[in-house]
Amino acid sequence: MTEHSRDLSRRRLLFGGAAVGAGVLLAGCTSNETEPTAAQTKGADAAASGNAAPGQKVVIGFSAPAADHGWLAAITTNAKAQAGAYSDVEFKTVEAGADAAAQRAAISTLISQKPNVIVMLPHDGKELNAAGLEAMKAGIPVVNLDRAFPDALAYRLQIKGDNYGMGVAAAHYIVDQLKAKGVSNPVIGEIAGIDSLELTQERSKGFADTLAQSGLKVSNRRAAEFTADSGQQAATSLFQALPKIDAVWNHDDDQGIGVLAAVNQANRKEFFMVGGAGSKKAMEDIQADNTVLKATVTYSPSMASSAISLARLIAQGKGMSDLVELQVPKEIILASETITKENASNYLKLGF
Amino acid sequence: MSDVTDTSTPERPAQLPAQSPPVDPAETAAAEQRAAGRLSWWRGESGEGARRNLWLIGVLVALIVIGIVTRPDLYGNSSWVWSNILVILKLASVVGVVSVGMTFVIIGGGIDLSVGAIVALAGVWATTVATQSYGAGGMIFCALTVGLGVGLVNGLLISYGRLVPFIATLAMLVAARGLAAELSDKQTQVSNNATINDIASTNLLGIPLLVYILAAVVIAGWVLLNRTTFGRRTVAVGGNPEAARLAGIDVKRHTLMLYALSGLCCGIAAIMLTAQATSAQAAMANLYELDAIAAVIIGGTLLSGGRGTIIGSLLGVIIFSTITNLFAINGLTTEAQNMVKGGIIVAAVLVQQVQFRSLTQFLGRNRLTTN
Amino acid sequence: MTEREEGVVTEPEASPTGGGAQGGSVDAPLLEAPADTVAGEVVLRLTDVVKTFPGVRALDGVQLEVRAGEVHCLLGQNGAGKSTLIKVLSGVHQPDSGQVEWRGEPVTFANPQAAMRAGIATIYQELDLVEDLSVAENAFLGHEPRRFGFVRRGQMARRTRQILGRLGHAEIPPNRMVRLLPAAGKQVVSMARALSHEARLIIMDEPSAVLAHDEVGNLFRIIRELTAQGIAVIYISHRLEEIREIGDRVTVLKDGGTTAANLPARDTPTRDLVNRMTGRTIEYVFPERPTGAGPAEADLLVVEGLTRPGEFADVSLRVRPGEVVGIAGLVGSGRSELLETIYGARRAEAGTVRMAGRVLRAGSVGAAVRAGMGMAPEERKSQALLLGEPIYRNVTLATFTRYARAGFTDVGRERAEADRIAESLELRPRDVRRPVRTLSGGNQQKVVVGRWLLGDTKLLLLDEPTRGVDVGARAELYQVIRSLAEQGVGVLLVSSEVPEVLGLADRVLVMREGRVVREAPAGELDENTVLDLVMAGSLMEGAAA
Repeated sequence: MTEHSRDLSRRRLLFGGAAVGAGVLLAGCTSNETEPTAAQTKGADAAASGNAAPGQKVVIGFSAPAADHGWLAAITTNAKAQAGAYSDVEFKTVEAGADAAAQRAAISTLISQKPNVIVMLPHDGKELNAAGLEAMKAGIPVVNLDRAFPDALAYRLQIKGDNYGMGVAAAHYIVDQLKAKGVSNPVIGEIAGIDSLELTQERSKGFADTLAQSGLKVSNRRAAEFTADSGQQAATSLFQALPKIDAVWNHDDDQGIGVLAAVNQANRKEFFMVGGAGSKKAMEDIQADNTVLKATVTYSPSMASSAISLARLIAQGKGMSDLVELQVPKEIILASETITKENASNYLKLGF
Repeated sequence: MSDVTDTSTPERPAQLPAQSPPVDPAETAAAEQRAAGRLSWWRGESGEGARRNLWLIGVLVALIVIGIVTRPDLYGNSSWVWSNILVILKLASVVGVVSVGMTFVIIGGGIDLSVGAIVALAGVWATTVATQSYGAGGMIFCALTVGLGVGLVNGLLISYGRLVPFIATLAMLVAARGLAAELSDKQTQVSNNATINDIASTNLLGIPLLVYILAAVVIAGWVLLNRTTFGRRTVAVGGNPEAARLAGIDVKRHTLMLYALSGLCCGIAAIMLTAQATSAQAAMANLYELDAIAAVIIGGTLLSGGRGTIIGSLLGVIIFSTITNLFAINGLTTEAQNMVKGGIIVAAVLVQQVQFRSLTQFLGRNRLTTN
Repeated sequence: MTEREEGVVTEPEASPTGGGAQGGSVDAPLLEAPADTVAGEVVLRLTDVVKTFPGVRALDGVQLEVRAGEVHCLLGQNGAGKSTLIKVLSGVHQPDSGQVEWRGEPVTFANPQAAMRAGIATIYQELDLVEDLSVAENAFLGHEPRRFGFVRRGQMARRTRQILGRLGHAEIPPNRMVRLLPAAGKQVVSMARALSHEARLIIMDEPSAVLAHDEVGNLFRIIRELTAQGIAVIYISHRLEEIREIGDRVTVLKDGGTTAANLPARDTPTRDLVNRMTGRTIEYVFPERPTGAGPAEADLLVVEGLTRPGEFADVSLRVRPGEVVGIAGLVGSGRSELLETIYGARRAEAGTVRMAGRVLRAGSVGAAVRAGMGMAPEERKSQALLLGEPIYRNVTLATFTRYARAGFTDVGRERAEADRIAESLELRPRDVRRPVRTLSGGNQQKVVVGRWLLGDTKLLLLDEPTRGVDVGARAELYQVIRSLAEQGVGVLLVSSEVPEVLGLADRVLVMREGRVVREAPAGELDENTVLDLVMAGSLMEGAAA
């Protein structure tokens, strides 16, 4: 028994030691320190006009959902950085929580703190419409980011990307390239994002509509989930279904990491690919020109930076200096731009 | 079955002299069984799993036939067919490894809803800048340790904390994904380690390394379940925990080990998935818990525990990846694919419950009640 | 499942006068005019009711007569047929032959609802209440007053309050959740349910078993209220003192038949009642005890002051190697709980368990098994067997690790060992690859006992080893137990069948309500003495040997 128990206690000690050791090692492995991605800001000194000059003090309240994706993370980073670039802006973030209800509560708190203007990326435009109305009624202008409120009274300014336009831009690029290469009857693949989302459907519709104008169509379309691993699996399935491909549009550069991995694993080089959203890594790949990724169409989180700038102007009662109007317009839809090897260097600082 | 005494009804007439030569039909059946010689394993208890798996292979064949009929152009090309088999196996590899761990947990009478989250956490942890600085070995060690560690926490909560497995692992699902999001700052972490990334693209003798890993895990799982005391305890603990406890088996410690094993499998899967995607993020391995559970169930493992096979689970995973493949080559939508998968799960369970007995009798004229 | 599978064998020429009674004056006439305290009309009359299950005559000519406003007690040992009789009366079973007359009309109740509608309510030992519903909802469960499909809650509460008032328990709020009531309160709710059906006959199956001592008086008060309103009560209890206090007339069952009917409850001598219940017609075949002084070695198992509140208290006992110690007691006397606590399956609150001088860690089965204990638990299927697994794996369940090498099981050796055990226990069928599910109860029990023959078991704990086992297999099991003892294994045996304990054990402990009330060599006790001890707790006059 004593023999047994000594043996047992030694085993326990060894095991315990190993566990503690592994724990310490692992704890050391949580660090992610690296040079931070440059946020997409416009320096106060860069502007030629007098709008950038410090003016009346402005408090900007900001609310966006907790990020589960690189794009959303970039939205918050950009907003923060842009606010920091102005000496006359005080930036107040409230956690939007896990769902629309939590965000509504957060907005109510924000309203009671009486900021000069609120910038909000809602969980869902319809569900937070009321929160927008409440703020506007309290005399606080609301800048809606990306997800529109159905009610025009619920916002002062709406700024968003163009999902349909992304599809259009991607299709235009693909059609031009195929024409230049003289490919007839091309095989075109599409790797979409989460299929149940409206934005995915809009992107696919823009893509299909534009291809149809040139008499082309998508040969096979697989849906992924905006994650790299799902992108890899969707791409693997797509490649198996289409033994020869001429062009592929992948909706999202984050899942594109997996798509490119699948390209390598399947050793398929016969086609070119267009990405979506415009991540920094995608732009670097395009610039390096050593993968099938030749272009990406933007849906840039830089809109958050612009939203902060415009929110400041709205609060200070100024207009956009290049426009004749004395006030900021009510709605701004960013054009989806196509980034290629030629212009990638211009966009690199906007990549997320 | 009338040939055996079902003990849920009262005993045989007590007047029957105990010493009278028993004309027990069951005895006769057993004698027949012995007489059947080589084939007896097939009809006996060890053959039961094999009979079940035969049904799954039938489904697989049917799916391939559908593929041939719908895409004769692709199936006409033998090199494409070979590459397609490898692609199906590669697609099955990650969930396959997770399913092996899940099979143990379910046979042991539990459930692990946190597997997808553990894969994500292990993958993210293994691809932080700090971990990557230790090279491939460091990343693998990290993923395995994280998987094992989270599995141990699950096991502790369930066996010693007396939480219901469903609740404990559901909580772990949420918590592990949360921690993964925290570690990765919600970013996609790209793996810059060529050794890791090569795991997904290396072929040995024309077969992907991932498929070898799957095979190794399946074989190890099969041996563990069918040839070791660990496997025997698993069946006992899942089949009748009270009986196991009263026979002196430490049910709590064994339950703990089952969840640790599941976690370890998730760690292995995390490396495979990270290599495939050359990156990791908090949202990866989305809903793998459902894929794994579904595969285990259609593989013939009882959700209530006490019976199941590793090979069945493997076939279940392969059936699912074959369906994915079938829908991909026909350009059909993911929604339709998910509906078919749901249908297959229901059909598999129904068919196994209802038809198996008659099929079993037809095949072996076996008079043992197998259920 | 009937009580009859406890295995009492029916005497072929069983006469209604209970021919097996041993000694004593048994001349209380059968089916004579009712005791004059009862004035009501006959509401229920059973004549020659027979109910058979495959292989067993559970009821073999039962006579019973119940009058309005009386408390009619049913007395009988385990397996005498009381449970089956209740189930026949409450519509769960239908009799094969004989007549049930209910308020003058011959009836057959197709199902429990039919019996309920006719006015027969049954209150089972395990109260069948829905814990998370209110008192009123439970009282009117299944027949809620309703209008347009909506339950009329106000009316339901009002009527419940009324009924509770009738039961003398107006203080129970009708909207209180049943879970929050004490056991006595729950019993009141069960009776309220019976009254909500306008029951004219209420059958109570051991109602006092779930109650604390002082609550029993309250129960009796309620029963008197009911009988005063003309409701008949069939009262089943093992406790003679209760029957004396509340009963009007007594009917005694034995081996599925009525051995005495309508005895006056208050003044029939205890000895007569006990004699009617006992007296086997076929004796069990017990192996002979070894002659000589018996084992004189040091104690193998020493239990001191073992206590689990609510189950048993301050139990001390010893078992020597080669000795068979029997514990006699009723269900609920704490005997099974005691056995499981000794085995470590339950953790003792106080007291120690020592094996060969070493104190075992409380609440650890592993420690008990390592110290050489083995147990065949009470519920074979739910506590001991993997029904779908082959026989050999069940036999080696506690020992397969010792045949394993480096963690790999040695199935060949396991089968060989299991085969050896199967042979020595005469397991039928002998093919150890068959699933245990396909075996009969007796053979399943052999598998469970055989499990502990493989290891080096020094002490075997047997909880109701012959429940559900037929007579032939019983004799074989007895033989196995005795031969184990001869090999030096200590055996601690629990059984609710007194003859089994007396016939098999060397020494007997009698338990009642969680305490050991008597300890004596088996030879110094007889069935009547023990039965009287387990039921009343006091030695009855002149019965001691």
